[in-house]
Parts: sequence; C-alpha cells; structure tokens
Amino acid sequence: MTWSDHYIAEQLDEIKKTAKISTNITELADNADGFAKLKEVKGQLDVISGDALWVPKYFEEGLIDAWDINSLEVAKQLYSIAREFTIWTKPEGYLGYPFGWSPILITYNPKYVSPAPDSWQALLDPKYKGKIVTENQPVEVVAYMAKAAGIKDPYNMSEAELAQAKELLLRLKPNVLKLAQQNTDTVAALVSEEAWIATSNLGTEDRVKDGGGPEVISFIPKEGTIGWMDAEMIVKEGKNKALIRPFLELAEQAEWIAQNFIDYGRPLFNEKAYQILVDKGEKERADRYFYNKPETVQTMTLKGPGLSTQGAINVFNEVFGA
Amino acid sequence: MPPNSAGGAIVVPPATGLAVRAKVGLVRAWPFLPAGLMLALLFLVPMAVMVVFSLWRTTPDFDIVPDWTLDNYAYFFNTPTYVRTLLKTLIMAAAVTAAGIAAAFPFAYFLVRYVSPRWQRAVLLAVIVPFWTSYLLRAYAWQAILGPKGALNQLLTGIGVTDEPSRLFIYDNPGVWLVLVYVYFPFAALAIYASLEKFDFTQLNAAQDLGARPDQALLHILLPQVRPGLITACIFVFIPILGEFLTPALVGGTEGLLIANLIVNFFRGLQYTTMAAFCFIIAALVTVLLVIFRRYLQVEDVVART
Repeated sequence: MTWSDHYIAEQLDEIKKTAKISTNITELADNADGFAKLKEVKGQLDVISGDALWVPKYFEEGLIDAWDINSLEVAKQLYSIAREFTIWTKPEGYLGYPFGWSPILITYNPKYVSPAPDSWQALLDPKYKGKIVTENQPVEVVAYMAKAAGIKDPYNMSEAELAQAKELLLRLKPNVLKLAQQNTDTVAALVSEEAWIATSNLGTEDRVKDGGGPEVISFIPKEGTIGWMDAEMIVKEGKNKALIRPFLELAEQAEWIAQNFIDYGRPLFNEKAYQILVDKGEKERADRYFYNKPETVQTMTLKGPGLSTQGAINVFNEVFGA
Repeated sequence: MPPNSAGGAIVVPPATGLAVRAKVGLVRAWPFLPAGLMLALLFLVPMAVMVVFSLWRTTPDFDIVPDWTLDNYAYFFNTPTYVRTLLKTLIMAAAVTAAGIAAAFPFAYFLVRYVSPRWQRAVLLAVIVPFWTSYLLRAYAWQAILGPKGALNQLLTGIGVTDEPSRLFIYDNPGVWLVLVYVYFPFAALAIYASLEKFDFTQLNAAQDLGARPDQALLHILLPQVRPGLITACIFVFIPILGEFLTPALVGGTEGLLIANLIVNFFRGLQYTTMAAFCFIIAALVTVLLVIFRRYLQVEDVVART
C-alpha cells in the first residue's frame, strides 16, 4: 500500500520480468488511512508507506518490523543521513527504507502579493481576503497556524496553544478561497489567478508554469515549516516477507529513483540518483528542490500523529463550521 | 372460517391453525429473505457497531477503548458550531428539495401531458444521461462553469451584465445549492413522472366542467393523487443531502460546508468514536424524518401507487 508517486509502471514491469516478483498495489490516501487499514487487514499487506512520525507509531503498534537497512546493497546509494534518522532507529533495527521528503512551502503570485512575504503571517493579512488556497487537511492547517503563533510542537499542543492556533485560524478563514482537495486544485487556482497565495509542496512553481499560469514564488516561512519524509515499511505479518528485500533492492535503484524525481519533482533520499540527475542536466531543478540538501529535513517539524489531533480537528471544525 | 362442501364449518384446532398461518407466512416471506439479510448485515449490524463505538472513547494514541460515555454526544450538542451546521444542512436540504420539486413538477407534467410516449422516453433518457458520468467529474465540471473564469462569468461579462467576474456563484452557499439542485433534479423528476404517468388527466377537464378553476382542479384533484410521487421525490432529495460531502467540498469554499464535511474530518484524524456519535445523530434525524413522512403523509401510498 503506497502513494501513487512512489512507483512507475515500467519499474514494476521490469521487476516482474527480471525477478518474478509481482506487485498488487493499493493506493494510500493518507497516513491515517494507511494506519487504520493496516490495523484491520494486517498480513494482507506486505509493504506500506508512511510519513515521518507515523513510522514509529506503526512500530509501537506492532504492525511493522525493524530490520537492518545496511543489509541491503542498494541502501549504500542513500545519503548517509537517511540511514541514521533517530526517529526511525530502534534497538531492533531501522523502521523503514527512506524514500522522499518535502517541506510545506508558501507559494505566492508576485503580481498581486507585495512586499515579498517571508512568514506564515502573510496568510493572515486581510488584504488577501478570499485569495488563499490551503489544503483540506484539518490537522495540518491548524499546525500551520501553530507555526505562525510560534508554537514549538504543532502536533502536541496544550489547550492554551490550541486556543492560540484557533485565534489565528479565525483570522485565516476569511482569506481562504477554498480548501483544496488535492494538489491539482491548488495548482489550478494559482494558474487561473483565483488564488494569489497557497500552501503547497515543492514543485508548485513548475506545475503552475506547466499549466500555463503566471510566475509564482515559493519560500519556507521564517518561523520554520512542517514537512514530511516517508519510508517503505515491512509489514510484520506480511505473507511475502521473503520477497520484500529483493524487491527493494531492485525498486530503489538510482536509475528508477532519478526517473521518479523527473516525473514527480520532489527530493528523494537516493544520493546516487542525484548524480544521475546532474548527468542528465537536471541539476538546476534538483538543487532548487533541495535534493542535494537532505539535512534540511532536520530543520522541519515532521508530520506525525500527535497527542493534540482531536483538539486540532475540533478547532478546525469549530472555525470552518457554520 | 371457510365453509365445507356440505355447508358446515371446518373446525381447525387452534394449534394447527397457527402452524398453517406460520407456514403461509414463511412461504410469503421468503422472497424478502435476501433483502432482509442484506438489510441486517449491511445496515443494522453496522448501525449497531456505530452506536457502540459512539459510546466509547478514542485515546490520544488513536486506540478505541470501551469506556462507556455520552461525551461524544455531549460534545455535539454543547458545541454551537455543530448544531448550527446541522441546522444549515437541514435548510440547504429543504431549499434544494423545494427547488428540485418546483423544477421537476412542471417538467414532468408537461412531459406526461403534452409529449408523445416515444419522445417521453427520449427526454427521460436525457434526464438520466448525467448519471453515466461520475458525480466527482460533474462536480468538477461545475467548478469550471461557475468559477471566476468559468463559462457563466464569461457569458455575464460578455453580454455586459457584470463588469468583472462574480464570486457569487462559487465557493459559497448559493453555488452548493445550485449544484445540488442539478445533481438531485433527476431523482425528483423521475419520481414525479412515475406518479403523473398514472394520472387520468380527463379528471381535470371533468373538474373544470363542474365549475372548478384550473388552479382549483390542480390543487384538489391532481395534487392529492400525485402526492406519493411528491413524497418520494422529497425523500430521494432531502435525505441524501444530509450526508452530502463532495459538492460542498468542491464548490462550497469555506462558507458552504455542510455537516458531513465536518464529520469527515474526524475520520481523517482517526477519531472514530466522535465520528460515530455524529453519524448516529444524523441517522437518528433521518429516521425521525421518515417516521414523520410516514405518519403525516402516508408514505405507504408510494408503494401502492407508484
């Protein structure tokens, strides 16, 4: 079970042809969806993808194995930092095979937004009423407001911190044009210039340009940002466990990862793939997307299940309800 | 008691009579067995599970623990946002139902009364054609039609009605209402059509021959007889809207969200017990509405007549 941008059809065909390992992929909607489903179906899945702090959550629930990542030859292609994330390191081993990452950025149209913003506060400026698009992800949107309020841990907020975030969310609401269901909605709103500012993933500038839209600029807010990094996890009760490591050896090869970057445009943890991208003339784009700076991950607040999830949803609903 | 051939009565011992009645009952009931099983397995059991969940608690670690509590219900009723959003959803459902019926009734009336049966079939086909594409695509299409650079705004600015694109049609309640009327119009039209098709229109002429004005004939002769179709239309439109999520999410912006949009957020955050309580409140409301429909509007006529 994984996200649709974790694989390429030719890659899976090739693995099936060469190693006789077939895949049957179920699309993953989000972390909560994957977590809930794996709890129900357990051994019916062999591999599942998850973000940052969700990975140890899976482990604590006894759903995935910890294993020796260095036993995989392909792991040598990773940036060394990716093999040593403390949140994924347990005495029993490493919790997943690192795949990709991205910070959440603010993207704006300089034609309408000036002076150039550098903070989450830009989302709260009344002059952008009805001109902002943000994702329809309650916990994340509340986390952005927590960042704007200078709250350290947006996923584990106290009642007082939730109240602070709510106050800012109330200021954000009139500025929000719509809550995007998916990234394409955000891109479409920026292309049509319905929206002047959006919270987005890496690559939005290119996607807006490719869609025939205006020049837009993305930045990481000065207060710091939220981000994700994901990994492929081995399901504890998976019935085809013996095939997973041979599968990863083939699927995570630099050539496929480089192609994946070209197709989907966000940094990945495979260092050798970066060299391939440089050789292919993709250096400018790769560097612009922080591919060569995996240490940026350590400056982000990582997405994950927190103790204030229910509180964040309550805050979001109370603000966006009637 | 049935007479025997000699004109006397057959005396059936009470126990045997009960057994016969039970057997007849069973024979008559078996066609309902598949539907009954489906109802039990796919509706009653999940509902029961939902009720139980709604009385439990989700821990901050997302575990569901069987601590019996009414907190989830109390949270709903103690938070004005949810009560307001539910009321807003009811108003939206009523407004869409009213508009849907107001559009569907003259449409179906004209179709049944003035269009040949062959063309009726063609028009009805046209009514259901939108069902051949997915609801999601239709909702996205409306986003394109109603948006600031959409067809409607281009038309209005093109003919000089507005100077610049209007936001009136999208990302607010009017847009949600309009798209829901479009989505549910076929349900209302088909239900009313099925009812009108059986109506004998010569009764209207007879009423007018007897001195009734056309509006009186319509009100006192036609409407009572097509009431089952109208009730069916109300049920088919009003009740699904209470659970509408997609249209408000796509065209409602931040102002047009309905109760289901808030409930989905609990699902996304693995807050299943709160979600179950909220869903059960909606389900209970639907049940109450159906009871009201049945009690005051004799919904069983729907079965008898359509």
